[in-house]
Amino acid sequence: MSGAGRTSPGLRKNGALIARREYLDRVRTRTFLAATMVLVVVAVGLALAPIAVRYIDRSTIVRIGIVSAEPDLRTKSIEVLDGILNRVPDGSDPATWRKPYAFVELADAGAAARGVDAGDLRGVLTVSRATDRGLDFTFRTSGASDSTISQVMQFASFGVGVLDAGAQFRPPNFSVESTTGATDAGRPIGAQATASRAVLSTILIILIFITLTIYGMWVATSVAAEKSTRVMELLISAATPRELLVGKVVGVGGAGLTQYVAILLPAAVVVLLQEPLSALLLGPGPAGEAPLQGLTLPILAAFLMFFVLGFVLYALLYAAAGSLVSRQEDVQQLALPLSLISMASYIIAVTGIGTVGSTFMVVMSFVPFSSPFVMLSRILVGRVEPWEILLSAGILAASSAVVLVLASRIYATGVLLYGQRPGIRDFLRAARTAIG
Amino acid sequence: MALVIDRLVKRFGPVVALDGMDFRVERGAIFGFLGANGAGKTTTIRIVLDLLKPDEGTTTWLGRPTDELPRRTWGYLPEERGLYPRMTVLDQLVFFAGLYGVERSNATRTVREWLERLRIPSAADRRTDELSKGNQQKVQFIAAIVHDPEVLIMDEPFSGLDPVNSAIMREAFLEMRGRGKTLVFSTHQMETVEALCESIVIVDRGRVVVGGAVREVKRASGRQVIRIALDEDGRADGPDHLAWLDGFQGARLTRPGADYVELTVPRGVDPQAILRAVLDRGDRVARFEIADPSLEEIFIERVGVRPGDPDDLVLTPSGTPETVPS
Repeated sequence: MSGAGRTSPGLRKNGALIARREYLDRVRTRTFLAATMVLVVVAVGLALAPIAVRYIDRSTIVRIGIVSAEPDLRTKSIEVLDGILNRVPDGSDPATWRKPYAFVELADAGAAARGVDAGDLRGVLTVSRATDRGLDFTFRTSGASDSTISQVMQFASFGVGVLDAGAQFRPPNFSVESTTGATDAGRPIGAQATASRAVLSTILIILIFITLTIYGMWVATSVAAEKSTRVMELLISAATPRELLVGKVVGVGGAGLTQYVAILLPAAVVVLLQEPLSALLLGPGPAGEAPLQGLTLPILAAFLMFFVLGFVLYALLYAAAGSLVSRQEDVQQLALPLSLISMASYIIAVTGIGTVGSTFMVVMSFVPFSSPFVMLSRILVGRVEPWEILLSAGILAASSAVVLVLASRIYATGVLLYGQRPGIRDFLRAARTAIG
Repeated sequence: MALVIDRLVKRFGPVVALDGMDFRVERGAIFGFLGANGAGKTTTIRIVLDLLKPDEGTTTWLGRPTDELPRRTWGYLPEERGLYPRMTVLDQLVFFAGLYGVERSNATRTVREWLERLRIPSAADRRTDELSKGNQQKVQFIAAIVHDPEVLIMDEPFSGLDPVNSAIMREAFLEMRGRGKTLVFSTHQMETVEALCESIVIVDRGRVVVGGAVREVKRASGRQVIRIALDEDGRADGPDHLAWLDGFQGARLTRPGADYVELTVPRGVDPQAILRAVLDRGDRVARFEIADPSLEEIFIERVGVRPGDPDDLVLTPSGTPETVPS
């Protein structure tokens, strides 16, 4: 004879009514509007940051090592590469214009490789003459094999090959060796992409952490407010605890998503317009790396899924915590354990980005409270099978269902208790006979 | 055909909140549910509303267990008033009606009707926190009845209302009864109970102390009240002149007053004997009245405290519980 078994208009209908009220109540407040506007400005600013970085970075010279067993070939290649890549653009003053590429002659392939690993060199181009007299080029880089620098070097190498008299018009061979190991659907991805994904992963995890905590507190304070204004007494006799909980979580979640979209949409537009914008601000030139490589649709979808599932799990518990206090000022204190759990999960996820393959991280990516954070890092910088993502999401959803039953009981008991905060034993006793 | 509260027991840890609470409310009645603070009224109401489960006992309405009935059966005005402060009155009431399954346009019509009836039609589009306390209470009352419940349960519906608004609220009660609704309410204002209720129970420490039709409850009290006023004609000692009646034939002087004195007399004593004794002393009687004790007196006698005082101030045990079958 649980409350949900009663013939009230039902979970869907009352849940929707409560969610609608909650949503409107929240998005109509001035603080919501103000916070959203501030965050939009911050997000657009962050989205513009890569352009600013490139603006500062534009005087940087790209150093490329040139290795060849034949000194002639080295000199000749550098001459041609310099002619192709360091051409003074039309309209620029040759006196003040700085060459964007510097070429370093190296005799020893081992030293060159160390230079790439240490970051002194963006890449090393090895030139050798094949037995058919044609030229073979190997470009070794820490970036991705299809990165801009690789493409530029391929283009320039072709020029070297074509202008080489000894080649007898045999087109040069060009291959790229990427020194990094992360993969994207089995295809290796470059170190720069990995780094970019680690940054992206950190940003998304921070985003999930902040929003889970803030929106979770919204839920808790909203429940506490209903209790302290005593409107709860009316609510609880009109709707079941489950309807109230679901409505509250959906309503606040909806307000949160609205804020999300309001913030992320302008930022996304800026990210998408990065190339035209940088062309406008920095003038034409080699495009360089996309600033947030890896922000693809599937990753956004995974982010959204784990945000929603994680929010539901945490918000239900925040609601239960809110139902236990009589005054809004006490919410923070009672919600502390929850905030600690989300903070611990967040720290595990962020500090574990470097070691996403470890057993610990794999396990944590399935544990309900940490999985929204840790699975995201694994998806972004690690190797995850689709079934693992589905299993993790499934476990998260199933635990939310269990938590809904538990939270309904806590809520049903909590909302009617006033005065002293109940001791854990009083509470358990009351919860045993509560109407879930 | 009634709301039957059948031997409810409810414990909160070591505290026994209900200890065999047992009474019935006839359909269509206005019923007074009386008791000091902490006597178990709110717990009983919460069990009827299925917000709490009893440890023992059952509650039924028209023969069906109350926890199987739809929520819209009940209208509830809680003791602690509370509304959403930032919402307008209309939005808020339509929202609550919606939770009970009332469609929007119907709810709007009902709300406007009731605002009109309670003399606050202009409140519809105002924020709740802009209303006076009395008007907020009227809004709260509408929240309890907007879905047209069969049974209306109200905790202290009159507290905080000025006499004009009290009268408006009484009219609303009678209107609801005219529509065939059953009204159960608790209050500490005994005059209101005497004016409105057909039947009552007085509860103390989780059980019924006395209950039934108001007339029977008064009869069953074992006491009667006698009011005597003397034709004073220049007497100087005033009301003290009748002080000797205190203790006479078991009478107790409960109200020495300037214009009349009031005595509480055991049922066995013949009031005429008291009148004769007064006349025998040579006094001239201008007024002599035999009445049932007021509900307030019965309440104090049974519970040991004034209505509204907390139960833990009880100094003397209230004696053995007694129930008048209704």
